[in-house]
Amino acid sequence: MKFGHEYEQVLASEGFPEQWLNSAIDYKYLKKCIKKVHRQLLALGLDGETLSHLSGWVEQPDFKVKPLQHHDYYSAAQPDLNTISEEFTPQLRILVDAQTGQPLDATLTPETKATLQGLAQHEMILAGRKEHLGTRIEPVDESESGSDSHGTPKDRVSSITELPADARWVQVPLASAQRFFDLLAPKLEDLEALRAAETRKLEEEILDLGDAVENVVEPVREGFEAKREISYRDLYFWREMFRLYLESPIFYSESEQNRGPLTFAKAKERLEAYDKQLRETGLLSKMKTPAARQAAKQFLDLNVDILKIMHFQEVNARAMVKILKKFDKQTHLEGRLFLKSLRDKYPELVPPEGSKKIVPSGFANSIARDLHAEIASKILAIVPQLDDWNCPVCYAMAWRPVSLGCCRSVFCIRCIIKLQDEGMKRCPCCNKETVMSADGRNIDFETMDFLEKYFPLEVKRRQKENEKAQLVRDYGEEFVKPSCTVM
Amino acid sequence: MSAPLPKRIIKETERLQNEPVPGISAQPHDDNARYFDVMVEGPGGSCYEGGVFNLELFLPDDYPMCPPRIRFLTRIYHPNIDRLGRICLDVLKNNWSPALQIRTILLSIQALLGAPNPEDPLNEAVAKQWKENQSEAIETAREWTKLYAQKN
Repeated sequence: MKFGHEYEQVLASEGFPEQWLNSAIDYKYLKKCIKKVHRQLLALGLDGETLSHLSGWVEQPDFKVKPLQHHDYYSAAQPDLNTISEEFTPQLRILVDAQTGQPLDATLTPETKATLQGLAQHEMILAGRKEHLGTRIEPVDESESGSDSHGTPKDRVSSITELPADARWVQVPLASAQRFFDLLAPKLEDLEALRAAETRKLEEEILDLGDAVENVVEPVREGFEAKREISYRDLYFWREMFRLYLESPIFYSESEQNRGPLTFAKAKERLEAYDKQLRETGLLSKMKTPAARQAAKQFLDLNVDILKIMHFQEVNARAMVKILKKFDKQTHLEGRLFLKSLRDKYPELVPPEGSKKIVPSGFANSIARDLHAEIASKILAIVPQLDDWNCPVCYAMAWRPVSLGCCRSVFCIRCIIKLQDEGMKRCPCCNKETVMSADGRNIDFETMDFLEKYFPLEVKRRQKENEKAQLVRDYGEEFVKPSCTVM
Repeated sequence: MSAPLPKRIIKETERLQNEPVPGISAQPHDDNARYFDVMVEGPGGSCYEGGVFNLELFLPDDYPMCPPRIRFLTRIYHPNIDRLGRICLDVLKNNWSPALQIRTILLSIQALLGAPNPEDPLNEAVAKQWKENQSEAIETAREWTKLYAQKN
């Protein structure tokens, strides 16, 4: 399917809000613009062949080159591409004979062309150095160009003026091309504004949902015995729900090999898989309180909303890149310079040049990244995950938690006892000699309270294991082996 | 196997499979979950680039209180690795910490390939050559890599 068609369809069928659609890039119309530019160029006698022939050496030098001297230009309205982004005007530059006004390009012999090309490149390098783009043709002087790097720019200018051939740069302002960019630029502003607004809105939603989740999972405090059973179990459901989410985050991959925002297609796939998982495990229906169920549904809806704006932005970014490529291809004008300036202006919009990796482009990219971080810190963090409270030695929950005081690591008491028994003096994490001096005072009571509050079941289990391990340590393996089992 | 596999080993193995380190793989044996077949790619820019080195790794009963035992199976020309494939690396000996893991150790080994240290040699002959004529030593390492460490 052609992209233009596909684009229209996506915009029409995905149920995007009206306001968004108004900001969407008008791909069809821009395509028409390109055609117009193309026709206009043809009318000037500049067909594709001539243009591509020209583009070989009408390459722009470094675009950051600042003020230019305009005396060498027969130029209309805006004399030159005098710098970056906002001031950019599409134009075509042709080398013409100053006397006859004939374009020199098409009629030159291959030898002359080669010489001109060499010269042009040479001049461009020079121009970059002295910020002077205007040029006149001069015969190649090997000896001079060889020592050129030592000559001051001034010397160089004077030598240029002795030129025999009389050729100038001419610029042809292209009204229709201007129109193309005039149309495109405000759209980008719109898209950026939309991105900012939607991100803010979603961030607020995330905060609200965070409060809601907090209310339903808050582990029971003293004196609320009646509610205990309910919320305590809901806490575990929520934890499992978030654990699944963290295992395969929907908008942002955190795995070592391919960290980064995901494409819309991939994100959609993940959200569908997540939804399926929730259904299959029946987590949602197991939740006891209506408020909890409501919040869980809200959580899913939020993800759907993010996915939607991501889709919209991604398809727009694609449309933009495509239309600029088309512009380049059809007109051989410097559309890619426009793209480059866009990159500077909206780094979030356009994927960096040469990035072949399939990353979602543009706004979608930054939405995925920002909102992923928001969800993680404002919602998911409310329910602590077991993996974050593991002892770095045995990988089981750090119960009872012991801090050695040298670094922030928290170990389980069993591992510290084992380290002491083995005579391993150094902290496993920071290498300081703190293990041997650890005793009851090193128990981390703050963490202990926290774990008891959020992981009551795990704490119970660990406590039993610890007691058993202590017996083994004190009396030997035999002591704890069951001697008789009642079947 | 008598004792059940510690949680730590199960978790490490899982993570090695689910989130492999680029250029490194470790596969436990079906009949012995403490014994791993390891594959390490020579680091880019080193004289082992393009080579694929096989190692064996064993987790003793005391692991993680003691380091894993690791040995190169593929022949390699390196001042800190001897003819039997034993490796001279501080974290595998005195500097072992139970907070280190299989993946961090394998990364250290890969780094050792990228930065041979002839000042602390295990293989005297190679280290001598490395110090006296480094370019030739590097050339030999390259040849050995081509000769023994090609993927098949």
